[in-house]
Amino acid sequence: MFADLTGKFKAIFKRIKNKGKLNEKDINNCLHEIRIALLEADVNYKVVKEFVNELHVQMINENISESLSPSQQIIKMVHREITKVLGSKKSDIIISPKPPTVILIVGLQGTGKTTTAVKLANYLNKKGHHSMLVATDIHRPAAIEQLKILAEKSKLPVFSMGTKEKAVNIVKAALKYVSDKDFDILIVDTAGRLHIDEKLMLELEEIDRQILPQEKLLIIDSMAGQDAVNSAKIFCEKINVNGIILSKIDGDARGGAALSLRKILDAPIKFVGTGEKNDNFDIFYPERMASRILGMGDVLTLIEKVESAYDKKEISRMNEKIKSNDFDLNDFHLQLKKMENIGSVEQIVSMIPGASQLNLNKMQYDDRELKKIEAIISSMTMDERNNPNIINGSRRKRIAKGSGSQISAVNRLLKQFNQIKNMMKKRKYIKNFPFN
Amino acid sequence: MKIVNIFSNFKNGLVKSRENLKDKIEYLIKKSKNKEIFLEQLEELLILSDIGVSATEEIINCFDEINFKEYEKNDFIYFKKKLKKILTDILNHSSPNIKIEKNRLNIIMIVGVNGSGKTSAAGKMAYKFKNENNQLLLIPADTFRAAAIKQLNIMANLAGVEIIKSSEKADPASVVYDGVNAAKARKKNILIIDTAGRLHNKINLMNELKKIKKVIQNAAGNNYSLEILQTIDATMGQNGISQAKSFNESLGVSGIILTKMDGTAKGGIVVAIKKELNIPVKLISFGEQLDNLYYFENEKFINALLD
Repeated sequence: MFADLTGKFKAIFKRIKNKGKLNEKDINNCLHEIRIALLEADVNYKVVKEFVNELHVQMINENISESLSPSQQIIKMVHREITKVLGSKKSDIIISPKPPTVILIVGLQGTGKTTTAVKLANYLNKKGHHSMLVATDIHRPAAIEQLKILAEKSKLPVFSMGTKEKAVNIVKAALKYVSDKDFDILIVDTAGRLHIDEKLMLELEEIDRQILPQEKLLIIDSMAGQDAVNSAKIFCEKINVNGIILSKIDGDARGGAALSLRKILDAPIKFVGTGEKNDNFDIFYPERMASRILGMGDVLTLIEKVESAYDKKEISRMNEKIKSNDFDLNDFHLQLKKMENIGSVEQIVSMIPGASQLNLNKMQYDDRELKKIEAIISSMTMDERNNPNIINGSRRKRIAKGSGSQISAVNRLLKQFNQIKNMMKKRKYIKNFPFN
Repeated sequence: MKIVNIFSNFKNGLVKSRENLKDKIEYLIKKSKNKEIFLEQLEELLILSDIGVSATEEIINCFDEINFKEYEKNDFIYFKKKLKKILTDILNHSSPNIKIEKNRLNIIMIVGVNGSGKTSAAGKMAYKFKNENNQLLLIPADTFRAAAIKQLNIMANLAGVEIIKSSEKADPASVVYDGVNAAKARKKNILIIDTAGRLHNKINLMNELKKIKKVIQNAAGNNYSLEILQTIDATMGQNGISQAKSFNESLGVSGIILTKMDGTAKGGIVVAIKKELNIPVKLISFGEQLDNLYYFENEKFINALLD
């Protein structure tokens, strides 16, 4: 994520590092490169101007040219400034004390409103809420059906009234419907619209005026260009948007829009969409994102993801198994499943500090490799998984056939498993297997 | 009459960006006290249109060579002409627009990132070509996104174009294989394939597209043409270049469909893509009506932008 911007900064700092000390000319060169990098990252022109001016002042004040390690200082400084632009603290959904909390999802066409609505419902339900989705996109063909299908995957209820009713009336009916039911959150998916489409903007204003939603979230495509600021501004003017969700950040867009929006709008970025699955959804942390932009990795997110995939009981059970050397293929299989819940290999790698430095993020990962290993283990009997030593030649042949793989693949897996087991034997303390 | 209509529609779609640019350039030249201020404001204008840093620098350099003292402050026609010429030089391409021939199978495959307007473009294109007296078949090969097949079916019905059956979670390559054979059996001359949106950095998904292309080439026989068109959202920033680059490297993109030109975004990314990758824009799409799709013409595009 944001790999290009990171690379640019790295190149700038490397050049400075090689020179040792900075003079006024170096500072200007550096600022020039930062400026171009930010513009190419789609940070809004005006924001870049302001940002670079601030950096210039900082650089002069901090007396970089006297420093022994200007590179470190500039990284720190740019990081601090980017964090400042992104907003200084994280911000979650505000839950109304008087349920239901109504959350309105708005945005241009194709930014990912419907997908985000479902992800948000899924996220809130995991935190113990009961969400109902409301389908008000009466304009785009099959939009309501799309919402229903996506919601079904996470077993989320959808309230819809077809495409003939006015959007505001659908929301009203939904409110009435949940009044005597156990839902504390209504997430309203609206039709994509241009900010200059007066008729459709009036539709939003009508919902805003009559329903008074607690949360009005604008979805912004992280690949958006300079115009993102213009459309966002109008949405804010018309319905007073109070939060932003940045979608599709699993692409390679440099995501400059994130920097611009925070600087120009009053609304914080609350969440990010990180993939096509319903749980590919994260809270937006400005300081983490700034670290990520600078290639300092995102260890905090990684740890949190691992923590949510493993509960404490399981970790201690696993530790016992490893200590007593009971770790078998069943456990191995379980670990693979957990890995999948944490994210794709690519997602995990992108969060490792220094990944961009080592060019790890340029490597190609194929998550299907994990699937193949899973298939092989699934083709084993319980006995074989509990006691891999009994897997002889004819069993290997059967397993290969059953999983549609080569015998050599089965051999490789068993060899790897034994290596892992041997490694484990040597360890005395295992706290958070497999990431300690 | 029809041509006039098309042209005025085309201009209406562009009216927003045109007014902005025209007014701004006039304003710039009238108000600019000196060259530095003028160049800085021109830079701002160009960057904000998403044409990219490199194209902007090129244009700025051209203006930098001018001796401002020789021109009247309000002589903006000269500057407009010069800007027009620079843009024309960048956008200019000699390859013709989509070439449809009656006695062969013209296959058009639409690709692009999520939410860039593929399905809408497929529906609009079907409508356009049907009105130009072609025999069409649509293939809904987006078997991944929920309700995408239904969306294209609704559009096919509106356009009055045949569409083959497909079901969610089906292998898109096999849907395409069936579609190509159906088109041959039903003696169609145009086959439009709508594919699932995918981010260009997802290797597995890009490989899936390569496979679909191979299936087309194997199944289509001898008498066919294949046009691979990529949708680029006009609101897209510089990542559009990265998108075009990846899709082009995987598939060989023959042209761009510039979508959502009815907003305030200028669609300048098209200039950057042409400049960096030499991929021409072939179609322009805006609005939600079926008939809002036109051949892209550099001359008209630039004129509408500057006149």
